[in-house]
Parts: sequence; structure tokens; C-alpha cells
Amino acid sequence: MNKKLGVYICHCGGNISDYVDVEKVRQSVEKEEGVFLAKTTMFACGDSNQKEMVEDIKSNHLDGVVVASCSPKLHLLTFRAVTERGDLNKYNYVHANIREQASWAHSDDKAGATEKAIHIVKAAIAKVRYAESLVPIKISSIKSVAIIGGGVAGMKAAIELSDLGCQVYLIEREYFVGGRVSQWDTLFTTNETGKELVTRLYNDLAKRKNITVYTGTEVISNSGSIGDFKLKVKITPRYIKEKCNQGELQNAIDACPVEVPDDFNFNITSRKAIYHNFPGEYPQSPVIDTKNCTRCGACEKICENVDFSQKEEIKEINAGSVLMATGFDPYTPADGEFGYNLYNNVVTLPQLKRMIDLSDNTLKFKGREIKNIVYIYCVGSRQVEGENKYCSRYCCTSAIHVAITAKKKFRDIYNFHFNRGIRTYGKQEVLYDESSKMGDIYLQSYEDDPPVVTSQNGKTIVKINDILTGKKELEVEADLIVLVTGMVPRKDNSVGSLFKLPKGRDKFFNEIHMKLRPVETVIDGITISGACQGPKNIMETVNSALSAAAKSYSYVSKGVLELEPIIARIDKSLCTWCNACSKACPFDAVKMEEDKTKAYAVINNSVCKGCGMCLPVCPTDAINLIAYSNSEIESMIDALA
Amino acid sequence: MATINPRFGEELKKYGAFDFNACYNCGNCTAVCSLSTEDDSFPREMVRFSVLGLEDDIKSSLKPWLCYYCGECTTNCPRTAYPGELMMSLRRWLTSVYDWTGLSGLLYKSLPLSIFAFILAALGVIIFSVQEKFDLATIMHYGHYFEMYAILTVFGVILLPNIIRMWWFVILKPEIKVSFKNYLSGFWELMVHMFTQKRALGCDDNQLRWFEHFILVIGYLGLLFTTVVLDWFSSGSLFITVLGYLLSIIVFTITVIFVSERIRKKKELSKFSQPSDWLFVIWLFLMGLSAFGVRVFIDTKILENNIWIYLLHLIILVQWALIIVPFGKWTHFLYRSFAMYFAKLR
Repeated sequence: MNKKLGVYICHCGGNISDYVDVEKVRQSVEKEEGVFLAKTTMFACGDSNQKEMVEDIKSNHLDGVVVASCSPKLHLLTFRAVTERGDLNKYNYVHANIREQASWAHSDDKAGATEKAIHIVKAAIAKVRYAESLVPIKISSIKSVAIIGGGVAGMKAAIELSDLGCQVYLIEREYFVGGRVSQWDTLFTTNETGKELVTRLYNDLAKRKNITVYTGTEVISNSGSIGDFKLKVKITPRYIKEKCNQGELQNAIDACPVEVPDDFNFNITSRKAIYHNFPGEYPQSPVIDTKNCTRCGACEKICENVDFSQKEEIKEINAGSVLMATGFDPYTPADGEFGYNLYNNVVTLPQLKRMIDLSDNTLKFKGREIKNIVYIYCVGSRQVEGENKYCSRYCCTSAIHVAITAKKKFRDIYNFHFNRGIRTYGKQEVLYDESSKMGDIYLQSYEDDPPVVTSQNGKTIVKINDILTGKKELEVEADLIVLVTGMVPRKDNSVGSLFKLPKGRDKFFNEIHMKLRPVETVIDGITISGACQGPKNIMETVNSALSAAAKSYSYVSKGVLELEPIIARIDKSLCTWCNACSKACPFDAVKMEEDKTKAYAVINNSVCKGCGMCLPVCPTDAINLIAYSNSEIESMIDALA
Repeated sequence: MATINPRFGEELKKYGAFDFNACYNCGNCTAVCSLSTEDDSFPREMVRFSVLGLEDDIKSSLKPWLCYYCGECTTNCPRTAYPGELMMSLRRWLTSVYDWTGLSGLLYKSLPLSIFAFILAALGVIIFSVQEKFDLATIMHYGHYFEMYAILTVFGVILLPNIIRMWWFVILKPEIKVSFKNYLSGFWELMVHMFTQKRALGCDDNQLRWFEHFILVIGYLGLLFTTVVLDWFSSGSLFITVLGYLLSIIVFTITVIFVSERIRKKKELSKFSQPSDWLFVIWLFLMGLSAFGVRVFIDTKILENNIWIYLLHLIILVQWALIIVPFGKWTHFLYRSFAMYFAKLR
């Protein structure tokens, strides 16, 4: 172990040298075993010093380098790069932090600070003696992406990835693509309909040969990781042959005796067991919902295309990256929340939107004509008592847009907005302007004093202590009460658990960094987009879908992935497979393998993040973390003592 | 507890209000208003009441009368909700609320009806003149009597009951206790505001306008006194003759300024004119001018052969006294000063 080491001690202008006697540090370490040269420098990160370091490493054939300066967060990568430029493997560089840990922390005690700095540098020298040259782990990556969820986010990402030359598998749990957006009529700010958007996206999808769309399909397991996810999917058949005669099918639908609440219309209407949500949706083929079908055979007699012989299918899909676009559920109010399920004229905003879409000349609900509509905002969002502390972003604008639509489509509609502050941010503000100019009335209350819904002699009255009128108690008789419900994570989010995707406090999928890594997850190779990450409107959803597509593409584009080599390593001879490490691993990177003699643990190199959680739980000390081995850490502790 | 009534806004629009629904309650209007105080803060509250249709709250409020329309609120409104014009419209609406006959409201809301009433008044004068065979002396005699009786009748039958109604809305109905002594001691305030409009001086940069208005009021009241009590048209006194000339000149020159301001629309105050505003200033102008003309014709001794000038003056006078004074904008003279009086009592 005769390494030639170079040590540099930085003044950091005076940030270090004002409190730490850097010359004394240099003198104390220059005689350390292996130290070939020890220098002080005004700014280690400065260009001239970097050049000098490169020269030193090259001309003296140094085997290890230590810079004692600031936090590694600031300049670890800088000096690793310098080391590389000196033709030395970058893992032979060790960083010593004597600014945050010595000079700044002990500015009242110069002698003590200097003493501590000497120990820190000696510990770094101890570590660098063990340093070995490492090469990044290379794994191959399949140039295909599996997108889970066929709403606008999934469809848009699919088109983008297809254009980049990826094979795309678009997996949709429902029988039709388009997700929530297909349920909406006109959309805010553009007034296009949701159906139009979905049609455009679907036509774009259909043109592309490298996109495979699976509907009625659920992911049931995954056994792979970044570069090669191995997904098992279950495809439920439609029980209708691909090509079918529309007229006959309509007769078959009419003949079906089963009627169930239609969740496409948020249960305000019913549908048959053989159904399509609306004419012209995609794929343009109806479906038999076998959960409700009684197999009476009525449809089969009318239409020859009904085919009950179709079988459920299990398929395997391999993908280099997985893009999650599973969307949201609208919040379901609790029984009695603002009269929900208590009075018969309380609905949610999505229900009203469907009602407006389905009504022609007059807006009627349960046979009664609607004139006065009361909107109660922030239901299920910004909760004081409940867990949903977040703002759902889309609802203020959506409620106002719905109010305008209703007022324009039907006669004598009066809208009353019971809100907690209107948040029609950005370009959406024009809708707020339009609605108030149309005569919509806005009433505001604080979160601790919400509006109260009561029923008096068959009339539904909403009361509020309006803060815009000096907290005067005001009331209005409502024909219809609309709860402006926010977004919540999908009720069935099992697909997230399947990938061990972490969730935030709001129970939506969590990104790594809100601002700088907004679509990546801690599970390598899995990106998130759209409302499965948190409330978003369509515009924001498409933005995040395109960004997730770009990120997923970066995992698969080169065919090869380079991963950080600092990971856990198992000494097979010591391992007795007790399962403790596998339980401790947060990333599911440890698997058991067996040979003739015994069972032992194996680390999945592409999944391990080198966090070190498995090390202390190993009873036989069979695990070492590369670059942080026991001997390295122990020698550092010895130097510090 | 008050019930929201969005239909009230529709009614208010017939009195000239518009776009006030755009208000998002920022309160800039109240902040910039130089007359608004902590105890009597406006116009935001009035805009809010109007949007919500809280009629009872507006009826019992004096705030619309406390505003003298400098227009700063409208200039500074980030939503272009025209709070100043709303306050103006509320004054028109309140005038119709106070009027027990209901005619104010009908005339404010319908221009055709106003024109019809003006034609009717003109026809009355013409028919009377035909009956009297255009005998100048008789017509002038009755014209003078008309002035006196019209003033008494209009005041006794229309204006006094309306003032009492205003009192009922703002003091009695809200059950505000006022001692008799206060009624007496506040009376001075009523007189001061009636004849000086001194509150209008509180508006920023309003000195010139206040002065013009003040002179006009003095000119108008003086001319009324000169013609009715001093009988200007029949008087031989040089002093009375010259006084009448002077006062009538004041009336028609100041009104020319006001009319031209409404035409040029430079100030917020004069940007939006309702028919009632035009009729008020134009008829005041015509009154001053025709009275001046009649006296000129008398002094140049050509009236006998040009009786039309007196008939014209009489028509204008009858229209003024029977339509504009009891049911039109003239009433603001009373309501504004009584509002200050009632505010003092409260």
C-alpha cells in the first residue's frame, strides 16, 4: 500500500484561513504516510489551482488526492473532474470539509478549529489510502416504455415517445381511452370539448405503428427494474368481435335487461351491461361488462358479433422505463357534508357538468327546473379537519366555467359562488371577470365558518356569514347545490404499490424534487405525470406528460445505462440468508439465490442505491458498501480519535 | 338575515347603473374616496349591497347622498366597475323609492314616458292660451299665479310626504332613537347644507365646480324669488329689473358650462348622462334664457307683438314645475341636504 498522495488545503479566501491556521494543518499532514505533496491554496476551486492540480497528478503519478475545503455538496464533483483530467480514476479523490465543519462552526476557537481541521484531513487521507478505481455499472436498456393510464397524459406521452422512436405500450384499465377528459363537454379557456381533445389524440395514436394500446388491461405484477421492467398484464376481453354492425348492436343494447348506475355520468344516469359511454368514443366498439351481465343471452340472439367465448389473457410486456399516468378520482363528499346524500338536490361539480352536457333546453334535476344554483367551493380540498390540506387547483376555474356555460345554455340561471377566495390564476382570470360581469354573485367565508345548508318547508336554504359584506348573515334559496369537489388520488392505486412508488403526505405519487426533478421518482426508471402526482388541470397535465416522456426516453434512448458504482456487495461465503437485509432494503434490491450448497443474498446492481440500510442489520457482517467498507470507516475513526 | 336578490341588479340598470357586478371587493374605491370615513365608509359597501340586491339596506342608508361624485373611485377601479356611476344610479333609485306616487320611477326608467309628459304639459299651456284667445295680460296673470300655487302644491303634496318617507326609511324603520332636542339642534346643519352644499368641498380638486354649483343655486333661488315674490315681469323698480337680469344670466351661463361638460365627457362626473340629467340642466338653461328673453321683450316693448316668447317661457316653466321639480333630478336639492341632516341625527 504505497500510494502517492496529494493533499491541498484551501484558504477559501479567508472563510477558512481566518479561523484555521492552514499552514499548521499543512505541516501536520505532510509527514503522514504516503503524502507526497501537501500544499495550501487561496482558492482550491480557482482555475489556476485546478490546472496546477492536474499538472501535479500527471507529473508525479499521484494515486490519491484530498482537497480540504468546503462542503462536498459544493465541490466534490469539481475535484472528481480535476482528478479525471489528471488521468486518475475519479473515485481516488476524497473530499474533506474544513469550512462548514471547522472554521465556520468554531469561529470562536481558532486553536480548536485548527486542531479539528487537522483531524478531518488526516481522516480523509486515511480513507484515500483505501480508495480503488471504480467504473460505472453498465446495464442494457430496452428501447421501449410502458405507459400506465390512457388519459390525456398517457396518450400525449405515448405520441411523443413514439415520435422519438420508442416502442410504446399504452395500458388502460378501462375499456375506453381518454380518461376523465372524455367525460367533459366544453373545457375552460379554449371551449373545445373533452371529446374533441381525445379524438385528436386517439387519431394521432392510431397513425403510429410503434404504439400498442391495451384497453381493459391491468398490470398485475412486475419483476424487473430500470432498463428491463417485466410487467405482467391481464387483458379482459370486450366479448364483442372487432368488426360489428352498429345497427344490430344498438338493438342488442336496447334488449339488455340489466341496468346499472353509469359511472361515466357519475351515476346520474344508468346504463346497460352491454354499453358504450357515448357514440364515437375510442376504441369504437362497445363492451360487455361481465361483472353485471347475467348471461341471459338476449344480446347474443340479436347480434352475431357478441362473443362470449373470448377469454381473459395474461401477457408479458418488457419495457426500459415505466411512465405512470393513472390520474385522479373526484372527491366523494361524506354523507351529510353540505347536505350531500341528505337533501335530494345536492350534487357534485362533475355531476353538474354531465347534467349540463346531457340537457337540451332546460336544466332539470329530478324533474324540477333549476334556476338558482349554489356552488360551494373547496369541498374535499383545503380541509381544516380532514387530511386533504392541498388546493386542487382546477376547481375554482372549472366551477366558474361551468357556471358561465349553464348561464349561456339555459334561461334565467342565477349562479351563487360560496367560496373561500377565488384562485383563477394565470390566463383563467378572464373567466372570473366574465362571470362576475354576467351577474354571478360571489360570497366568501373563512375556513372556520363555512356556509350552512338547511332545509325549510321543502326549500333548501344556504346561509353564509359573508366576509365581503361585513360578515352579514346572508341566505339564498337554492334549486341545486353543487359541491365543487377537488381531486383525490385514485381509490384503487394498487399499481403504485406494485412498483413501491412512494406517496406524499397528500397520498399522491411523490416526485424526487418538486422543482428540479419534478417527474422522476426514487424508483429508477419510473416517471410520473398528470394528476396521479397531484391536482393539475389539462394544460399542466400535458406539460408534465411531455416532461415525463422526455425523462423516460433518457433512460432508454442509448440502449445502455450507466449507474453509480457505489453499491452494496455481498460476501457469499459469509452470507447465511436470514432475510434481514432484504427486509431492510427500501428499494427491493436484495433477492435470494440458491446454489447446490446454500441460499444467499444477491444485490440487483441496477436497483441498489448504495444507501447502506442493509449493512448494520447483517448478523454475519457479510455486506460491504463499496467505497465505504468497514476497514475504510474504521481507519477514518482511528485518524479522528 | 337577508336574502340575496340578483334580480335587483337588473332593476338598478334601468336607472343607469352598469358593470358594477364586476366588483371583486378590493376596496380601492373606498380607500381613495376623500369623503368616506371609518363610520360612513363607501362606495364599496353600496356596490356590494347592489350586487347582492339588499334593497332594505340600501333604502335605510344615507351613503348614496353623502357622495358628491368626484369620480376618483371610478378612475381607480381595477375592474372598471364604475362605482361612481353606481352611486349616481342609487340616488336616482332612492328618489323613486322616496316618491309615494311612483311617478319618479316611471319617468326615470322610460324616456318615451318623459317625452309624453313634457308634450302633455306643453299642450296644456297651448290649450289654455287658445281658450284665453292669446290675451297676454290674462295669460301672464295666470302664469304668475301658477308659479305660486304650483310651488305650494308640489311641496305640500309631493315633496313633503316624500321627505317624510325618507325620514321613515332612514330613521324610523331602523328604529333609531332621536331626541326632539336633536331634531332642533340639527336644523342649522340642514340649512347650511341646503344653501351651501359645503360637503362637496371635501371632494379633491372640486373648488371650482363647487363654486359654479353654489352660484347656480343662488341664481336659481334668487330668480325664483324675484319672479314669484317680487313679480319681476310686472315690476317697474330698476333694482328688481336689474336683479332679475343678473340672476337669469347666472342661471343660463352656468348651465351652459354644465351642458358642455356633459357633451365633452372629460370628467367622470359628466361621462354618463341619463335623460333625467340632460332634461334637468337643459330645462334650467331654457328657464333662465326664456325668462331673460321675456324681460328683454318687455323692456324693448315688443312683447305685445311677440307673445310667443312668453308662451315658450310658460311651457318651460310648467314642465319644470310639474315634472322635473317633483319627480325629476330637482329633488336632489332636498334629499342631499336632508341626508346630511338625518346623518347628523343618527
